Amino acid sequence: MAELRKRGLVTAVIYSGPFLKLGKAQARTFGVPDLPLLEITHPLGGISLDDVKARAGQAAPQFVELVHQNLPK
Amino acid sequence: MTDLNALMKTPGAGFEADDDFEQINALYLEKGWGDGLPIVPPTADRVQKMLAYCDRPIDEPIGLVAPRYGAATPIRLAANAVMAGCRPEYFPLVMLAIDALCEEKFNLYGINATTHPCSTLMIVNGPVAKELNMNSGHNAFGPGNRANAAIGRAVRLAMLNIGGAIPGTGDMSTFGSPAKYTYCVAENEAANPWEPLHIELGFPAEASTVTVFGAETPHNINDHESITGLGLLKMMAGTVAITGANDIYFDGMPLLVIGPEHAATIAKDGYSKADVKKFIYEHGRIPLGNMSDENVERRIRQWPVFKNELMEAGPDRMIPIIKNPGGIHVIVLGGAGKHSAYIPTFGATQAVTRALKRRDGQIARSIADFRRS
Repeated sequence: MAELRKRGLVTAVIYSGPFLKLGKAQARTFGVPDLPLLEITHPLGGISLDDVKARAGQAAPQFVELVHQNLPK
Repeated sequence: MTDLNALMKTPGAGFEADDDFEQINALYLEKGWGDGLPIVPPTADRVQKMLAYCDRPIDEPIGLVAPRYGAATPIRLAANAVMAGCRPEYFPLVMLAIDALCEEKFNLYGINATTHPCSTLMIVNGPVAKELNMNSGHNAFGPGNRANAAIGRAVRLAMLNIGGAIPGTGDMSTFGSPAKYTYCVAENEAANPWEPLHIELGFPAEASTVTVFGAETPHNINDHESITGLGLLKMMAGTVAITGANDIYFDGMPLLVIGPEHAATIAKDGYSKADVKKFIYEHGRIPLGNMSDENVERRIRQWPVFKNELMEAGPDRMIPIIKNPGGIHVIVLGGAGKHSAYIPTFGATQAVTRALKRRDGQIARSIADFRRS
């Protein structure tokens, strides 16, 4: 992910709440401290498939917005 | 070779503080430089003494410790070894363990960052264990032996201070583990009726090795009644058959720790170590029906390790915990008593063994081989 971002692609990591610090620390470790982190409701494991789809529903518009922000002017 | 005095002049390499044990420990706790227990302050003098048993450049990384991928140089490791209470003679094993832990197939990132409560178990084999008075008998897992305790703690401190495996930031373990303070033993080779681990793995008897596992804490196998090898193996296989352990989903090669009295009974009845492993493979199984419907449908049936073989399997289908007849390590450990132990792993990990070698690549015969002249 970090390598893709360094090459200029629009990238993001999706995380659930308790993993924000880990995500930020890893982004710094791999040299992309500004890597976008998109939050979804915790947890992702141990939930119904409908709830998984709802998590995807939280993440997708955030990523679409990210792509729009990075469109060539 | 860079010396310590030159490195200490690098900005940020050290700091001045009063020689006050209480104040230093308060500072280390405040900064988060440790495991919560009091540390031995790593003064330049103590670090220098620790490096007396290092035969490589003190600023040349041995490995990169995940999840921060911090450079584990001997000087950094020496500071952590001092903090842990190591004697300088222990230091070659600390460096060797770090070297093994940083091999890719061990998956140190996964081991350190996961929500799973695994730690870094070190098994020491060979003559150096005896030379350092390591404990392989009663209470080998602790407490009471300085080498076992301090070598294991030094490695764990390196995970925290060099690797950034900090609770809640780089270590997301749901509830952690007592094995994250220290987790290091020497195999009881004298009580082993079979070949010890390092010889089984192809190392010469005169070699000393460290084998690292991404492991949970031991789960005891109490058997005071079986008087045959078959009886003991049945009890052991039954204990291995755990529904909720990670190993069922992977081929992580867990560890069977056999107490000397159990080992003697099993060997007396003609079982080789390979026979023990084969028995565990064949009988350490759980019926698919032990797992919840959700686990069966969402994980087991589609999980790569099962290669689609369980797509149509019913609740009575027996699932192996280990995935082939050699898929478990076996050591002999401990003192008197009718106990053995099973140690599950993180699953997505492979044990790694390193032999203690001198800088010239030759097998070290003694810790004294590392003593700087």
